[in-house]
Amino acid sequence: MNQEYYPWGGEFTTCSPDGCVAVILLNIDYKPNELVAIYGSLKTENIGIEKIVANVISNPKIRYLVVCGNDIRGHRSGMSIIALKENGIDEQHKIINSPGAIPYIENLNNEAIERFRNQIEIIDLLGITDKKKLDKVIDSLSAKSPPPFGEPYIAIKIIDESYVKLNDKRALHSKIVMNYMGKIERRDK
Amino acid sequence: MFSFTKEQKVFKISGIKIGGQPGKYPTILFGGVFFKGDFDFEYTEKNIQDMLNISKKTANPIIPDFFIKKEEHIENIINFIDTKLPKNVPFSIDVIEPSIKVKALEHLNDKDLLSRTIYNSIHIGITDRELNALKNNTPEMAIILAFNPKDKSPDGKVEILENGANLTKDGLLNIANNLGIKKILVDTAALAPGDNSGAAIAAIPVIKEEYGLPTGCAIHNVVEKSKWLDNFNYAKTTVDASSNVNIPLFGGDYAIFGPMKNAEYVIPVIAWQDILISEYAENYFGISPDNFHPRRKLL
Repeated sequence: MNQEYYPWGGEFTTCSPDGCVAVILLNIDYKPNELVAIYGSLKTENIGIEKIVANVISNPKIRYLVVCGNDIRGHRSGMSIIALKENGIDEQHKIINSPGAIPYIENLNNEAIERFRNQIEIIDLLGITDKKKLDKVIDSLSAKSPPPFGEPYIAIKIIDESYVKLNDKRALHSKIVMNYMGKIERRDK
Repeated sequence: MFSFTKEQKVFKISGIKIGGQPGKYPTILFGGVFFKGDFDFEYTEKNIQDMLNISKKTANPIIPDFFIKKEEHIENIINFIDTKLPKNVPFSIDVIEPSIKVKALEHLNDKDLLSRTIYNSIHIGITDRELNALKNNTPEMAIILAFNPKDKSPDGKVEILENGANLTKDGLLNIANNLGIKKILVDTAALAPGDNSGAAIAAIPVIKEEYGLPTGCAIHNVVEKSKWLDNFNYAKTTVDASSNVNIPLFGGDYAIFGPMKNAEYVIPVIAWQDILISEYAENYFGISPDNFHPRRKLL
Protein backbone atom coordinates (compact mmCIF):
# COMPACT_ATOMS: atom_id res chain seq x y z
CA MET A 1 0.00 0.00 0.00
CA ASN A 2 2.89 2.31 0.71
CA GLN A 3 3.70 2.44 -2.96
CA GLU A 4 0.16 3.18 -3.97
CA TYR A 5 -0.45 5.82 -1.30
CA TYR A 6 1.91 8.15 0.55
CA PRO A 7 4.28 9.20 -2.25
CA TRP A 8 6.48 11.31 0.00
CA GLY A 9 8.51 9.23 2.45
CA GLY A 10 9.08 10.33 6.01
CA GLU A 11 8.88 9.39 9.65
CA PHE A 12 5.47 7.76 9.64
CA THR A 13 3.87 4.37 10.28
CA THR A 14 1.06 3.02 8.14
CA CYS A 15 -1.64 0.88 9.73
CA SER A 16 -5.09 0.07 8.31
CA PRO A 17 -5.58 0.46 4.54
CA ASP A 18 -9.24 1.31 5.22
CA GLY A 19 -8.59 3.71 8.09
CA CYS A 20 -10.16 7.17 7.99
CA VAL A 21 -7.88 8.75 10.59
CA ALA A 22 -4.38 10.20 10.32
CA VAL A 23 -2.58 11.30 13.48
CA ILE A 24 0.11 13.98 13.79
CA LEU A 25 2.33 13.55 16.84
CA LEU A 26 4.00 16.66 18.26
CA ASN A 27 6.64 16.13 20.96
CA ILE A 28 4.84 13.01 22.14
CA ASP A 29 5.66 9.33 22.29
CA TYR A 30 2.29 7.79 21.51
CA LYS A 31 1.03 4.94 19.40
CA PRO A 32 -2.61 5.12 18.32
CA ASN A 33 -4.78 2.06 17.66
CA GLU A 34 -4.14 -0.12 14.60
CA LEU A 35 -7.34 1.06 12.91
CA VAL A 36 -5.90 4.45 11.98
CA ALA A 37 -4.58 4.84 8.44
CA ILE A 38 -1.28 6.49 9.27
CA TYR A 39 0.51 8.29 12.08
CA GLY A 40 3.80 10.08 12.49
CA SER A 41 5.65 13.08 13.82
CA LEU A 42 5.73 16.62 12.42
CA LYS A 43 8.68 18.96 12.96
CA THR A 44 8.74 21.85 10.51
CA GLU A 45 6.04 24.32 9.52
CA ASN A 46 7.02 24.24 5.83
CA ILE A 47 8.46 21.03 4.36
CA GLY A 48 6.98 18.92 7.16
CA ILE A 49 3.46 20.20 6.47
CA GLU A 50 3.93 19.76 2.71
CA LYS A 51 4.77 16.09 3.23
CA ILE A 52 1.73 15.53 5.42
CA VAL A 53 -0.63 17.26 2.99
CA ALA A 54 0.76 15.34 0.00
CA ASN A 55 0.54 12.01 1.80
CA VAL A 56 -2.89 12.56 3.31
CA ILE A 57 -4.58 13.55 0.04
CA SER A 58 -3.03 10.55 -1.70
CA ASN A 59 -5.42 8.42 0.37
CA PRO A 60 -9.02 9.56 -0.11
CA LYS A 61 -10.17 7.33 2.73
CA ILE A 62 -8.47 9.62 5.27
CA ARG A 63 -11.08 12.13 6.43
CA TYR A 64 -9.90 13.02 9.94
CA LEU A 65 -6.54 14.49 10.86
CA VAL A 66 -5.82 14.47 14.58
CA VAL A 67 -3.19 16.96 15.77
CA CYS A 68 -2.00 16.06 19.28
CA GLY A 69 0.82 16.65 21.76
CA ASN A 70 2.74 19.83 22.54
CA ASP A 71 3.43 22.14 19.63
CA ILE A 72 7.01 22.60 18.43
CA ARG A 73 8.53 25.77 19.91
CA GLY A 74 9.31 28.44 17.34
CA HIS A 75 8.11 26.34 14.42
CA ARG A 76 4.55 26.06 15.80
CA SER A 77 3.94 23.36 13.22
CA GLY A 78 0.72 22.08 14.82
CA MET A 79 -0.90 25.51 14.86
CA SER A 80 0.38 26.06 11.33
CA ILE A 81 -1.32 23.00 9.83
CA ILE A 82 -4.54 23.98 11.61
CA ALA A 83 -4.17 27.50 10.14
CA LEU A 84 -3.63 25.96 6.70
CA LYS A 85 -6.91 24.08 6.96
CA GLU A 86 -8.78 27.14 8.25
CA ASN A 87 -7.27 29.89 6.11
CA GLY A 88 -5.24 28.45 3.24
CA ILE A 89 -2.24 30.34 1.86
CA ASP A 90 -1.76 33.90 0.62
CA GLU A 91 -0.26 35.08 -2.70
CA GLN A 92 3.25 34.58 -1.38
CA HIS A 93 2.36 31.01 -0.41
CA LYS A 94 2.49 31.85 3.27
CA ILE A 95 0.01 30.05 5.50
CA ILE A 96 -2.46 32.75 6.51
CA ASN A 97 -2.37 33.54 10.26
CA SER A 98 0.20 30.88 11.02
CA PRO A 99 2.29 31.68 14.11
CA GLY A 100 5.24 29.63 12.80
CA ALA A 101 8.64 31.10 11.92
CA ILE A 102 8.77 30.21 8.18
CA PRO A 103 5.31 28.88 7.26
CA TYR A 104 5.59 28.69 3.47
CA ILE A 105 4.06 26.00 1.23
CA GLU A 106 6.10 26.00 -1.95
CA ASN A 107 6.07 22.48 -3.32
CA LEU A 108 2.32 21.93 -3.63
CA ASN A 109 -0.07 23.60 -6.04
CA ASN A 110 -3.27 25.38 -4.97
CA GLU A 111 -5.40 22.47 -6.13
CA ALA A 112 -3.60 20.11 -3.76
CA ILE A 113 -4.02 22.54 -0.87
CA GLU A 114 -7.72 23.05 -1.58
CA ARG A 115 -8.15 19.31 -1.87
CA PHE A 116 -6.57 18.92 1.58
CA ARG A 117 -8.78 21.61 3.06
CA ASN A 118 -11.91 19.99 1.65
CA GLN A 119 -11.01 16.36 2.28
CA ILE A 120 -9.90 16.70 5.88
CA GLU A 121 -11.57 17.58 9.13
CA ILE A 122 -8.98 18.54 11.73
CA ILE A 123 -9.39 17.34 15.27
CA ASP A 124 -7.43 19.85 17.35
CA LEU A 125 -5.97 18.05 20.36
CA LEU A 126 -3.03 20.42 20.74
CA GLY A 127 -1.76 20.46 24.31
CA ILE A 128 -3.24 17.05 25.08
CA THR A 129 -0.68 14.38 25.98
CA ASP A 130 -2.81 12.11 28.18
CA LYS A 131 -2.85 8.83 26.30
CA LYS A 132 -6.22 7.74 27.64
CA LYS A 133 -7.83 10.95 26.44
CA LEU A 134 -6.19 10.56 23.03
CA ASP A 135 -7.24 6.90 22.79
CA LYS A 136 -10.84 7.85 23.54
CA VAL A 137 -11.06 10.42 20.74
CA ILE A 138 -9.06 8.45 18.18
CA ASP A 139 -10.91 5.18 18.91
CA SER A 140 -14.26 6.85 18.37
CA LEU A 141 -13.10 8.47 15.09
CA SER A 142 -11.68 5.14 13.90
CA ALA A 143 -15.06 3.49 14.40
CA LYS A 144 -16.67 5.85 11.90
CA SER A 145 -16.91 5.01 8.22
CA PRO A 146 -17.23 8.23 6.22
CA PRO A 147 -17.27 7.96 2.42
CA PRO A 148 -13.93 8.28 0.64
CA PHE A 149 -13.17 11.70 -0.89
CA GLY A 150 -13.09 10.68 -4.56
CA GLU A 151 -9.94 9.38 -6.21
CA PRO A 152 -6.40 9.47 -4.78
CA TYR A 153 -4.67 12.80 -5.46
CA ILE A 154 -0.99 12.45 -6.19
CA ALA A 155 0.40 15.93 -5.56
CA ILE A 156 4.02 15.02 -5.84
CA LYS A 157 5.92 12.06 -7.13
CA ILE A 158 9.36 11.45 -5.79
CA ILE A 159 11.58 10.29 -8.63
CA ASP A 160 14.08 7.65 -7.60
CA GLU A 161 16.73 8.66 -10.12
CA SER A 162 17.37 11.82 -12.05
CA TYR A 163 19.86 12.76 -14.70
CA VAL A 164 21.49 16.16 -14.92
CA LYS A 165 23.28 17.39 -18.02
CA LEU A 166 26.08 19.92 -17.91
CA ASN A 167 23.97 22.61 -19.54
CA ASP A 168 21.01 21.88 -17.27
CA LYS A 169 19.83 25.03 -15.47
CA ARG A 170 19.22 22.87 -12.43
CA ALA A 171 22.86 21.87 -12.22
CA LEU A 172 24.22 22.50 -8.75
CA HIS A 173 26.93 24.82 -9.97
CA SER A 174 25.07 26.63 -12.71
CA LYS A 175 26.59 29.96 -11.60
CA ILE A 176 30.27 29.02 -11.36
CA VAL A 177 32.98 27.25 -13.32
CA MET A 178 36.31 25.95 -12.11
CA ASN A 179 39.63 25.43 -13.84
CA TYR A 180 41.90 22.40 -13.48
CA MET A 181 43.58 23.80 -10.35
CA GLY A 182 40.38 24.63 -8.52
CA LYS A 183 40.21 28.34 -9.33
CA ILE A 184 36.57 29.34 -9.36
CA GLU A 185 34.96 32.13 -11.37
CA ARG A 186 31.47 33.17 -12.38
CA ARG A 187 30.09 31.27 -15.34
CA ASP A 188 28.93 34.38 -17.20
CA LYS A 189 32.39 36.04 -17.31
CA MET B 1 40.22 22.66 -2.83
CA PHE B 2 39.37 26.03 -4.29
CA SER B 3 40.33 29.64 -4.65
CA PHE B 4 37.97 32.42 -5.66
CA THR B 5 38.21 35.10 -8.34
CA LYS B 6 35.88 37.44 -6.45
CA GLU B 7 37.52 39.46 -3.68
CA GLN B 8 36.70 37.81 -0.38
CA LYS B 9 35.54 39.91 2.55
CA VAL B 10 36.98 39.33 6.01
CA PHE B 11 35.01 40.49 9.03
CA LYS B 12 36.27 40.88 12.57
CA ILE B 13 34.39 40.40 15.79
CA SER B 14 36.17 40.60 19.15
CA GLY B 15 39.47 40.00 17.38
CA ILE B 16 38.29 36.89 15.48
CA LYS B 17 38.56 37.08 11.69
CA ILE B 18 35.95 35.29 9.56
CA GLY B 19 36.07 34.95 5.77
CA GLY B 20 38.73 35.32 3.08
CA GLN B 21 40.28 33.00 0.54
CA PRO B 22 40.50 29.31 1.51
CA GLY B 23 43.74 28.64 3.35
CA LYS B 24 44.13 32.15 4.79
CA TYR B 25 42.21 32.03 8.07
CA PRO B 26 41.26 29.06 10.23
CA THR B 27 37.73 27.69 10.06
CA ILE B 28 35.59 29.25 12.80
CA LEU B 29 33.60 26.79 14.90
CA PHE B 30 30.28 27.57 16.56
CA GLY B 31 29.51 25.18 19.43
CA GLY B 32 25.88 24.92 20.54
CA VAL B 33 25.01 25.78 24.14
CA PHE B 34 21.66 24.22 25.01
CA PHE B 35 19.89 24.32 28.33
CA LYS B 36 17.41 21.66 29.32
CA GLY B 37 15.30 22.14 32.41
CA ASP B 38 17.38 23.69 35.20
CA PHE B 39 20.31 25.86 34.26
CA ASP B 40 23.54 24.08 35.04
CA PHE B 41 25.79 27.07 34.56
CA GLU B 42 28.80 25.41 36.18
CA TYR B 43 28.65 22.59 33.62
CA THR B 44 28.19 25.10 30.80
CA GLU B 45 31.10 27.23 31.96
CA LYS B 46 33.35 24.16 32.14
CA ASN B 47 32.28 23.02 28.67
CA ILE B 48 32.98 26.46 27.19
CA GLN B 49 36.38 26.56 28.90
CA ASP B 50 37.15 23.07 27.48
CA MET B 51 36.25 24.33 23.99
CA LEU B 52 38.48 27.38 24.45
CA ASN B 53 41.37 25.19 25.63
CA ILE B 54 41.15 22.95 22.54
CA SER B 55 40.81 26.06 20.40
CA LYS B 56 44.07 27.44 21.85
CA LYS B 57 45.85 24.23 20.88
CA THR B 58 44.63 24.14 17.27
CA ALA B 59 44.16 27.87 16.52
CA ASN B 60 40.57 27.39 15.37
CA PRO B 61 38.52 30.12 17.06
CA ILE B 62 35.35 28.92 18.73
CA ILE B 63 32.15 30.87 19.26
CA PRO B 64 29.49 29.63 21.69
CA ASP B 65 26.04 29.60 20.08
CA PHE B 66 23.43 30.12 22.81
CA PHE B 67 20.08 28.54 22.00
CA ILE B 68 17.26 30.48 23.67
CA LYS B 69 14.09 28.45 23.71
CA LYS B 70 11.82 30.23 26.17
CA GLU B 71 11.22 33.86 27.02
CA GLU B 72 11.83 33.20 30.72
CA HIS B 73 15.34 31.95 29.85
CA ILE B 74 16.48 35.20 28.21
CA GLU B 75 17.60 36.96 31.38
CA ASN B 76 19.45 33.97 32.85
CA ILE B 77 21.30 33.16 29.64
CA ILE B 78 22.27 36.76 28.87
CA ASN B 79 23.40 37.30 32.48
CA PHE B 80 25.57 34.21 32.12
CA ILE B 81 27.09 35.61 28.91
CA ASP B 82 27.66 38.96 30.59
CA THR B 83 29.30 37.65 33.75
CA LYS B 84 30.91 34.33 32.88
CA LEU B 85 31.90 34.34 29.23
CA PRO B 86 35.43 35.75 28.79
CA LYS B 87 35.15 39.32 27.50
CA ASN B 88 37.29 38.62 24.44
CA VAL B 89 34.96 35.85 23.22
CA PRO B 90 32.12 36.75 20.87
CA PHE B 91 28.93 34.70 20.93
CA SER B 92 25.86 34.05 18.85
CA ILE B 93 22.27 33.80 19.95
CA ASP B 94 20.16 31.21 18.20
CA VAL B 95 16.44 31.89 18.58
CA ILE B 96 13.52 30.57 16.55
CA GLU B 97 10.49 32.32 18.08
CA PRO B 98 10.18 35.88 16.66
CA SER B 99 8.88 37.39 19.92
CA ILE B 100 11.83 35.95 21.88
CA LYS B 101 14.22 37.36 19.27
CA VAL B 102 12.87 40.85 19.91
CA LYS B 103 13.19 40.60 23.69
CA ALA B 104 16.65 39.00 23.51
CA LEU B 105 17.93 41.87 21.32
CA GLU B 106 16.59 44.47 23.75
CA HIS B 107 18.19 42.66 26.66
CA LEU B 108 21.54 42.39 24.89
CA ASN B 109 21.42 46.13 24.25
CA ASP B 110 20.62 46.84 27.91
CA LYS B 111 23.69 44.83 28.90
CA ASP B 112 25.84 46.55 26.27
CA LEU B 113 26.65 43.22 24.62
CA LEU B 114 25.65 43.93 21.01
CA SER B 115 29.25 44.56 19.90
CA ARG B 116 30.04 40.89 20.66
CA THR B 117 26.74 39.53 19.32
CA ILE B 118 26.26 37.43 16.20
CA TYR B 119 22.53 37.27 15.48
CA ASN B 120 21.47 33.78 14.39
CA SER B 121 19.57 34.36 12.17
CA ILE B 122 17.76 36.59 9.68
CA HIS B 123 15.59 34.49 7.35
CA ILE B 124 12.49 34.77 5.18
CA GLY B 125 10.24 34.53 8.24
CA ILE B 126 11.47 37.92 9.51
CA THR B 127 8.63 39.93 11.07
CA ASP B 128 8.10 43.71 11.16
CA ARG B 129 8.64 43.68 14.93
CA GLU B 130 11.92 41.83 14.46
CA LEU B 131 13.01 44.34 11.80
CA ASN B 132 12.23 47.16 14.16
CA ALA B 133 14.06 45.51 17.04
CA LEU B 134 17.11 44.95 14.84
CA LYS B 135 17.04 48.59 13.77
CA ASN B 136 17.01 49.79 17.38
CA ASN B 137 19.32 47.10 18.75
CA THR B 138 21.70 46.35 15.90
CA PRO B 139 24.08 43.45 16.48
CA GLU B 140 27.69 43.63 15.30
CA MET B 141 27.23 40.67 12.99
CA ALA B 142 24.35 38.58 11.66
CA ILE B 143 23.93 35.21 10.04
CA ILE B 144 21.63 35.26 7.01
CA LEU B 145 19.91 31.93 6.49
CA ALA B 146 19.61 31.21 2.76
CA PHE B 147 16.63 28.87 3.10
CA ASN B 148 14.39 28.91 0.07
CA PRO B 149 11.41 26.57 0.47
CA LYS B 150 10.69 26.88 -3.30
CA ASP B 151 14.11 25.86 -4.50
CA LYS B 152 16.64 24.13 -2.30
CA SER B 153 19.44 24.16 -4.89
CA PRO B 154 22.40 26.58 -4.64
CA ASP B 155 20.70 28.81 -7.23
CA GLY B 156 17.57 28.90 -5.06
CA LYS B 157 19.66 29.93 -2.07
CA VAL B 158 21.24 32.74 -4.12
CA GLU B 159 17.74 33.88 -5.13
CA ILE B 160 16.72 34.30 -1.48
CA LEU B 161 19.78 36.42 -0.79
CA GLU B 162 19.32 38.43 -3.98
CA ASN B 163 15.59 39.15 -4.16
CA GLY B 164 13.82 37.15 -1.46
CA ALA B 165 12.25 34.86 -4.11
CA ASN B 166 9.02 36.86 -3.74
CA LEU B 167 8.74 35.63 -0.17
CA THR B 168 10.10 38.84 1.35
CA LYS B 169 9.84 42.41 0.06
CA ASP B 170 13.54 42.55 -0.68
CA GLY B 171 16.55 40.23 -0.84
CA LEU B 172 17.82 39.16 2.57
CA LEU B 173 21.20 40.81 1.96
CA ASN B 174 19.54 44.16 1.25
CA ILE B 175 17.33 43.76 4.30
CA ALA B 176 20.42 43.25 6.48
CA ASN B 177 22.28 46.13 4.83
CA ASN B 178 19.35 48.49 5.28
CA LEU B 179 19.29 47.61 8.97
CA GLY B 180 22.89 48.80 9.21
CA ILE B 181 24.34 45.31 9.68
CA LYS B 182 27.59 45.44 7.77
CA LYS B 183 29.13 42.16 8.90
CA ILE B 184 27.16 39.38 7.33
CA LEU B 185 27.73 35.62 7.41
CA VAL B 186 25.73 33.49 5.00
CA ASP B 187 24.35 30.16 6.23
CA THR B 188 23.55 27.86 3.30
CA ALA B 189 20.71 26.13 5.24
CA ALA B 190 21.48 22.44 5.61
CA LEU B 191 18.25 20.47 5.36
CA ALA B 192 17.29 16.93 6.30
CA PRO B 193 18.57 13.93 4.34
CA GLY B 194 16.30 13.59 1.30
CA ASP B 195 15.76 17.36 1.05
CA ASN B 196 18.75 18.15 -1.14
CA SER B 197 20.99 18.18 1.94
CA GLY B 198 24.18 18.21 -0.19
CA ALA B 199 23.14 21.52 -1.72
CA ALA B 200 24.17 23.25 1.52
CA ILE B 201 27.76 22.24 0.76
CA ALA B 202 27.56 22.81 -3.01
CA ALA B 203 26.19 26.32 -2.40
CA ILE B 204 29.26 27.44 -0.45
CA PRO B 205 31.55 28.12 -3.45
CA VAL B 206 28.61 29.53 -5.42
CA ILE B 207 27.79 32.10 -2.73
CA LYS B 208 31.44 32.91 -2.00
CA GLU B 209 32.06 33.63 -5.69
CA GLU B 210 28.81 35.55 -6.08
CA TYR B 211 29.13 37.84 -3.04
CA GLY B 212 32.57 37.30 -1.47
CA LEU B 213 30.84 36.95 1.90
CA PRO B 214 31.92 34.55 4.67
CA THR B 215 29.82 31.42 4.22
CA GLY B 216 29.20 28.22 6.15
CA CYS B 217 26.40 26.09 7.54
CA ALA B 218 25.25 23.67 10.23
CA ILE B 219 25.87 20.47 8.29
CA HIS B 220 25.58 18.66 11.62
CA ASN B 221 21.80 19.16 11.32
CA VAL B 222 21.70 16.69 8.43
CA VAL B 223 23.36 14.03 10.56
CA GLU B 224 21.12 14.78 13.51
CA LYS B 225 18.01 14.32 11.38
CA SER B 226 19.11 10.97 9.98
CA LYS B 227 17.22 7.97 11.33
CA TRP B 228 19.30 5.66 9.19
CA LEU B 229 22.47 6.50 11.13
CA ASP B 230 20.80 5.42 14.38
CA ASN B 231 21.63 1.89 13.30
CA PHE B 232 25.35 2.66 13.59
CA ASN B 233 26.05 3.93 17.11
CA TYR B 234 29.79 4.43 16.77
CA ALA B 235 29.65 5.74 13.23
CA LYS B 236 27.11 8.41 14.09
CA THR B 237 29.63 10.39 16.17
CA THR B 238 32.29 9.97 13.48
CA VAL B 239 29.95 11.03 10.70
CA ASP B 240 28.74 13.96 12.78
CA ALA B 241 32.27 15.29 13.36
CA SER B 242 33.68 14.45 9.94
CA SER B 243 30.79 15.88 7.93
CA ASN B 244 32.09 19.31 8.99
CA VAL B 245 35.24 18.90 6.89
CA ASN B 246 33.11 19.42 3.79
CA ILE B 247 32.67 23.06 4.75
CA PRO B 248 36.35 24.17 4.55
CA LEU B 249 36.93 21.73 1.71
CA PHE B 250 34.37 23.59 -0.39
CA GLY B 251 35.84 26.95 0.59
CA GLY B 252 33.59 27.71 3.57
CA ASP B 253 34.58 29.81 6.55
CA TYR B 254 32.63 28.51 9.52
CA ALA B 255 30.77 25.46 10.83
CA ILE B 256 27.99 25.35 13.38
CA PHE B 257 28.85 21.94 14.71
CA GLY B 258 26.10 21.04 17.21
CA PRO B 259 26.36 20.58 20.97
CA MET B 260 29.61 21.89 22.43
CA LYS B 261 30.38 18.52 24.02
CA ASN B 262 31.35 17.42 20.49
CA ALA B 263 34.17 19.99 20.47
CA GLU B 264 36.91 17.48 21.26
CA TYR B 265 35.94 15.48 18.16
CA VAL B 266 35.22 18.32 15.79
CA ILE B 267 37.93 20.90 16.45
CA PRO B 268 40.99 18.67 15.74
CA VAL B 269 39.30 17.21 12.63
CA ILE B 270 38.72 20.69 11.25
CA ALA B 271 42.23 21.83 12.23
CA TRP B 272 43.63 18.92 10.26
CA GLN B 273 41.52 19.80 7.25
CA ASP B 274 42.61 23.44 7.50
CA ILE B 275 46.24 22.31 7.31
CA LEU B 276 45.62 20.26 4.14
CA ILE B 277 43.80 23.16 2.51
CA SER B 278 46.44 25.68 3.53
CA GLU B 279 49.25 23.58 2.04
CA TYR B 280 47.41 23.34 -1.27
CA ALA B 281 46.30 26.98 -1.30
CA GLU B 282 49.83 28.21 -0.61
CA ASN B 283 51.44 26.02 -3.27
CA TYR B 284 48.89 26.62 -6.00
CA PHE B 285 47.43 30.04 -5.25
CA GLY B 286 50.11 31.71 -3.12
CA ILE B 287 47.81 32.14 -0.11
CA SER B 288 49.92 32.10 3.07
CA PRO B 289 48.13 31.19 6.27
CA ASP B 290 47.55 33.85 8.90
CA ASN B 291 49.79 33.76 11.97
CA PHE B 292 46.87 32.35 13.91
CA HIS B 293 46.21 29.19 11.87
CA PRO B 294 46.40 25.44 12.63
CA ARG B 295 49.28 25.09 10.20
CA ARG B 296 51.37 27.44 12.32
CA LYS B 297 50.38 25.63 15.53
CA LEU B 298 50.42 21.96 14.73
CA LEU B 299 53.28 21.52 12.31
